[in-house]
Amino acid sequence: MSGTARTPEGAAGRAPVEARGLTVGYGGRAVLEDVTFAAGPAETVAILGPNGGGKTTLLRALLGELVPLAGSVHLARPVACVAQSDRTRLDFPVSALDVALMGALARGRWWRRPGRSDREAARAALERVGLGAEADARFGALSGGQRRRVLLARALVQDAQVLLLDEPFAGVDQASAQRIVALFAELRAEGRTLLVTTHDIEGARAFDRVLCLNRRQVCFGPPGECLGRAALEATYGSEIVVLEDEGGPTRAITVQHHDR
Amino acid sequence: MPSPIDALELPFMRTALAEVVLLGAAGGLLGAWIVLRELAFFTHAAGTVTFPGLVVADATGIAPQAAGAAVALAYAGGVHRAGARRHDEGAATGLLLVAALALGVVLASDLLDAGAGVDRLLFGTLLGLGTGDLVAGALAAVAALAATLALGPVWTASAFDEDGSRALGLPVRRADGLLLALVAVAVVAALPAVGALLVTAVFVVPAATARLLARDVRELLGLGVALAIGEGVLGLYLAYWLDVSPGPAIAALSALVWGAVATATAIRSRGARG
Amino acid sequence: MDAVADALLDPWRTGIGLRALAEVALVGALGGALGFWVLRYRLVYGAESLAHGLLPGLVLAAVTGLPLVAGAALGIVVAAVLLALAAGEERTGPDTATAIVVTGLIGAGGLLAFARAVPARLGDLLFGDPLAVGASELAATAAVVLAAVAALVILDRPLTAVAFDPVGAPALGVRPAAVRLALLVLLAATVAVGARGLGNLLVLAALVAPAVAVERHARTPATAMAAGALVAVAAGVAGLYASYHAEIAAGGAVALALCAAAAIGRLTPRRAPAR
Repeated sequence: MSGTARTPEGAAGRAPVEARGLTVGYGGRAVLEDVTFAAGPAETVAILGPNGGGKTTLLRALLGELVPLAGSVHLARPVACVAQSDRTRLDFPVSALDVALMGALARGRWWRRPGRSDREAARAALERVGLGAEADARFGALSGGQRRRVLLARALVQDAQVLLLDEPFAGVDQASAQRIVALFAELRAEGRTLLVTTHDIEGARAFDRVLCLNRRQVCFGPPGECLGRAALEATYGSEIVVLEDEGGPTRAITVQHHDR
Repeated sequence: MPSPIDALELPFMRTALAEVVLLGAAGGLLGAWIVLRELAFFTHAAGTVTFPGLVVADATGIAPQAAGAAVALAYAGGVHRAGARRHDEGAATGLLLVAALALGVVLASDLLDAGAGVDRLLFGTLLGLGTGDLVAGALAAVAALAATLALGPVWTASAFDEDGSRALGLPVRRADGLLLALVAVAVVAALPAVGALLVTAVFVVPAATARLLARDVRELLGLGVALAIGEGVLGLYLAYWLDVSPGPAIAALSALVWGAVATATAIRSRGARG
Repeated sequence: MDAVADALLDPWRTGIGLRALAEVALVGALGGALGFWVLRYRLVYGAESLAHGLLPGLVLAAVTGLPLVAGAALGIVVAAVLLALAAGEERTGPDTATAIVVTGLIGAGGLLAFARAVPARLGDLLFGDPLAVGASELAATAAVVLAAVAALVILDRPLTAVAFDPVGAPALGVRPAAVRLALLVLLAATVAVGARGLGNLLVLAALVAPAVAVERHARTPATAMAAGALVAVAAGVAGLYASYHAEIAAGGAVALALCAAAAIGRLTPRRAPAR
């Protein structure tokens, strides 16, 4: 945990994202217990776990949407958030540029009309996610992966030090996924903190740290430690298929159950 | 068919025309947010709920705007506190509206003399609009414009992605409360002209029609205002010609326009897909 | 003592009063029973929209001299069709589409009612006029109510099955779509007959208020339906009394009494289950 002067809070030594003994749940019943981890600047953390294991719950707790049943949580604002389900409206009369521009509302005062610099920032963000040409397309007319990238662009415009992304690769095509991975490396180089929930075990190896959740914290540490066979089985139970376990790192994929 | 020019020579028609234009501006502007935030039912309920207040105001000489605004704002406050703006499947809102209507008619049978009073309160009047109503209409239009300029981006972001906007740090809940309050007050301005039952004809239907055609929020606003004013003026003329209240005329007209546009756009998009 | 007896019996000394009593009791009993399913199947908003939307049918009947029940039936069919069509409009949200259809229909009703030399006493159509119910109308209401109650008895098992487990019901030989449709038809019939006495704006009270009043207190569906019917009739009688003695609108008084019953039932704490 490197507390440098770049932490947004200014309080030297306080990590931008931190949880201690965090227990959260709904209606008094805990669904996620005893989570303790921290993430500093220029750190990327992959959050793994089965469906219902508490990944989204953790993000909601970090955002303050859920009051902890025990323990504490700290998240340095401003934070950019890219949600999992497409709860955005597809028939909404907005273009990709309009959506990216919404990120500018978070900086400065929200009652100011977006100015030229905001517009340029929005266009630049769309370029960075590879959608510069689609800036004027209607948001709902874009593909699932493109929409996810537009929401990512909105997060970029926010220019936040911390980004929380809930399954940014779900339903995204290969080309878009690679673009997103490259973007993560750029953001990390810029000194930002990224928390990303994902089902992609192989992809998680590229992250600085991995946090495995299965209704409780199974592991938090470097990929080598937390993506070993024992940790993966403790995390995923039967929802995992191990491809290769001899010699090199365990290669495994998750089996996902989609209700739809 | 009477000549529109001749109609304008009558002072009450000029007043009604001005009122309808002002209400159309307010209705088109606020209507965009009502439609995007899905507040159609709330708008209808806010109008309906004022009925007993209007009866009391009529009988006791209190300004109807004051009575209406008090009731409508109280309703808006309750809705905001409860957090639910949609119709209530659990029956509470439905019964509330029925009780309001029943209370109104019971009070009217006791306090007012003719049934015409109730008709006027529920469906509006062509003849009885005065300067006070024009002022209220103007205030509603100005407030709608100011709010659209100031809060439009926040309302758009909240309607598009409420959770994401909250995470962005936007004051979603407060902006929402302001919208409810604004709609409640604007609805009250429309009561004399279109009546407690048909405020949706001005604040919901034209904007919903515009939504079918607009490609972005700015077009939605502009088209909504144009439709609301156009339908209001045309409905007014219809009301004058048929000797009916403006409310039903504007309501039937605007609903027909929506139906026509919805059918046309559906056919067009089906043709494009096929 | 005589004064009290007079006060209690006076309203029913005339044919008008008796028929009003019968009408309110019949509609209340049906509404009170059916209301249990209206709540269970979350049909309150649908019922409200259908009731408001049938206005043009009522007005047309009043203007052309047809029986009002026929007008209500026609109006409800038209409203149901338009509401179903509008719900299919994808770009307009379902709530907005419903609001638009209801607005248009109320507007059309208003146009028809006003655009005549002799207005069709719009207030009576909106708020009901139980004191104007004729003998043949009453007979028609009774027939519909009896048929509806019979249907409710027959449909009791399927309605329960689908309400409890719509996914598993087909395995029991019950088709949810058919059951829902049957319930909607019953709903429409109740609204149509109730619109005469209570008006299309207030008939919702008969459908919803009694069920709300007993919801917390009744333990079984059968109890809920019977209690709902009783509460409805009691409230209806109370409303008629108030209307007679205080000289206020009858339909409105009955509706207010029903709503009051709902409020009382809701606020009364539930009695602990007997052991």
